[in-house]
Amino acid sequence: MNWHLKRAGQALFTLWAVVTLSFVMVRMLPWSAEDIVVAELIQQNPNLAQNRDMLRRQVQDMLMIDPDASITEAYVQYMMSVMQGDLGTTYGVRSGEEVSAIIAGALPWTIWVMSLATFGMFALALALGAIMAYREQSAFDYSNSAVAIVAASIPYYVAAVVFIKYIGFSDFLFLEMIPARNRLPDGVAVGLTFEFVSGAFRHALLPALSFIVTGYGLTALAMRGNSIQTLGEDYVRVARLRGLPDRRIALRYVGRNAVLPLYTWLIISIGTMFGGAVILEQLFNYHGVGYWMLEAIEANDMPLMMGTFIVLTAAMVVAIWFGDLTYGKLDPRIKSGDEGEAY
Amino acid sequence: MSLNDTFTSETELHGVSDPIIEIRDAEVVFEMDRGVSRVLDNVNLTVERGEILGIVGESGSGKSMLASAILDAVVDPGILSGSITYYPENGDPIDVLSLSDEELRKLRWESISMVFQGAMTSFNPTMSIRGHFEETLDAHDFDIEEGMERGHQILSDLYLESERVMDSYPHELSGGMRQRALIALSVLLEPDVLVMDEPTAALDLLMQRSILALLESLKEKYDLTMVFITHDLPLVAELSDRLAVMYAFELIEQGPTNEILQNAGHPYTRSLLNATPNLDAPLSEMRPIEGSAPDPVNVPKGCSYHPRCSVANNRCVEADPEYQQITEEHVAACFHCDDAVEAIPLTHDQAVVQEDEP
Repeated sequence: MNWHLKRAGQALFTLWAVVTLSFVMVRMLPWSAEDIVVAELIQQNPNLAQNRDMLRRQVQDMLMIDPDASITEAYVQYMMSVMQGDLGTTYGVRSGEEVSAIIAGALPWTIWVMSLATFGMFALALALGAIMAYREQSAFDYSNSAVAIVAASIPYYVAAVVFIKYIGFSDFLFLEMIPARNRLPDGVAVGLTFEFVSGAFRHALLPALSFIVTGYGLTALAMRGNSIQTLGEDYVRVARLRGLPDRRIALRYVGRNAVLPLYTWLIISIGTMFGGAVILEQLFNYHGVGYWMLEAIEANDMPLMMGTFIVLTAAMVVAIWFGDLTYGKLDPRIKSGDEGEAY
Repeated sequence: MSLNDTFTSETELHGVSDPIIEIRDAEVVFEMDRGVSRVLDNVNLTVERGEILGIVGESGSGKSMLASAILDAVVDPGILSGSITYYPENGDPIDVLSLSDEELRKLRWESISMVFQGAMTSFNPTMSIRGHFEETLDAHDFDIEEGMERGHQILSDLYLESERVMDSYPHELSGGMRQRALIALSVLLEPDVLVMDEPTAALDLLMQRSILALLESLKEKYDLTMVFITHDLPLVAELSDRLAVMYAFELIEQGPTNEILQNAGHPYTRSLLNATPNLDAPLSEMRPIEGSAPDPVNVPKGCSYHPRCSVANNRCVEADPEYQQITEEHVAACFHCDDAVEAIPLTHDQAVVQEDEP
């Protein structure tokens, strides 16, 4: 069977499993979402207490589930709506709003911060690790190794709090340009304007930096180790004797081969960061998907909770899928599935 | 012929009239915690233009170090001293060790090229063979189109499907194909000298033979001088015009291949010939050399072979023998060449050697 088809099937299966799991888990919570919704609806409109049919329709609207249906029927109803992109309506956090609308407004911001953090972290770590390897056992190598280990042992949320206190609310020189809260400066509208782009960047800086500073260390050390190993490879020696320019050897020979094992690491770290977004977005009052997830949990808001959970997991499944598809481009020895051909 | 004759001229020493590479007093040392490790000790060697010179020795005798020294490519922190002179066909002799980095970069691969031990890992796994060829041409400012045409031609000369091999990644080629591709890459810039360090190690016997045959035709066609370094005496005996034998980081005997095979002067060479496995010789006739090769930090005083030598006496412990003339082109670093001939009779079948004659 075509490998791409198989891999897509795997990704879809994972997504299905995640949605099913979220359905089951929410049903295992000690409180019933139906009870809360019914109570709230009746509070808003006491007449509904008499009109059971009407009540049922409204509950189904919000939860995508007929409250009187059996668990299997409820599951089918739920899956059908999710597949159509309907994640229900919130009742706790922003009563009455469509969950999919809230997530659509939040997801781009989370992705933006996470991309900034991931690429910033890897750019820093790979460059630093490679330089450390080239200058193995120099003062630069030792000092950076020490700093990297210390930085790696700080939890990102502690770094975040320190950044908020000492950078986010500081007026020192340019530091006042870097705010600690919100996604955008007040009064800036979304659009391709300078205010928007620079505002979005400045507001994403501290959350991203919290991840970068605490995450780059281990990656840099891994890159350092890989590079040192690659520097000792025969093909690097032969390349030098063949008279290739140092720049080409550093990038195309050492860098390229040292980075291969880190690619998987990069993809996995995307998942870790999405998980970390839940706490980080709360600290920075950054209204992304993670922010809404925590809000939903605090408010017992079941549709929003499930929606954010599904979207965060889906983002990770897609990231790993993408990683799998592209790994063969990076390392020709790992052809995607059955494309591989050896003579 | 007196054993105490000392040499006076180049011709007398090595029987070489038109040298292409001249190595004088080459020495490589590594400073280590437990002492100075001398892994190449006072090596004198001349390579004649157009010949195939075989260098044999057991593992750890300094063969690879000699190969690296020829290209001034001794790995850090090794220190190479002595002199290495390259004589281009036209032009002045070049002192390899005093070249600037850029001149050295040009010399390597364009004039003196090298096939390494471990061809399996000599290609960048993330690049196609074509990429390797093109970047080499590019780095030396050669015309890429013309060079690639030559590359295809060399690959075909080595019985490879050049298009398919060029498009392949290293892991897609078999060991023998990779080895041949590497040989093709090493002669891509039309060097005068090709230094090969165990080019057939890790290949099966059949592939070794076929690569040897290919090398011979390649040498004819592209007018190469070859230095062939190996531990496999029968293999190199078949190919080479002259042999040089290494023991304990020194060259202990040099001479035409046939002379060495039939009339080796140094006890080590004679024992080595007797220790060489041979399908025709019964196992009972094989004589291993007792003892083991010396540690580079602590080489025995006098002749470094004396602890293992059956004809050694006090003189060998006290003084390191100079080269003794055996015939005009054949020298051995031993005080007792005549005794050795009697004390260590060669067991190998003369007929086998005769077969290798052209």
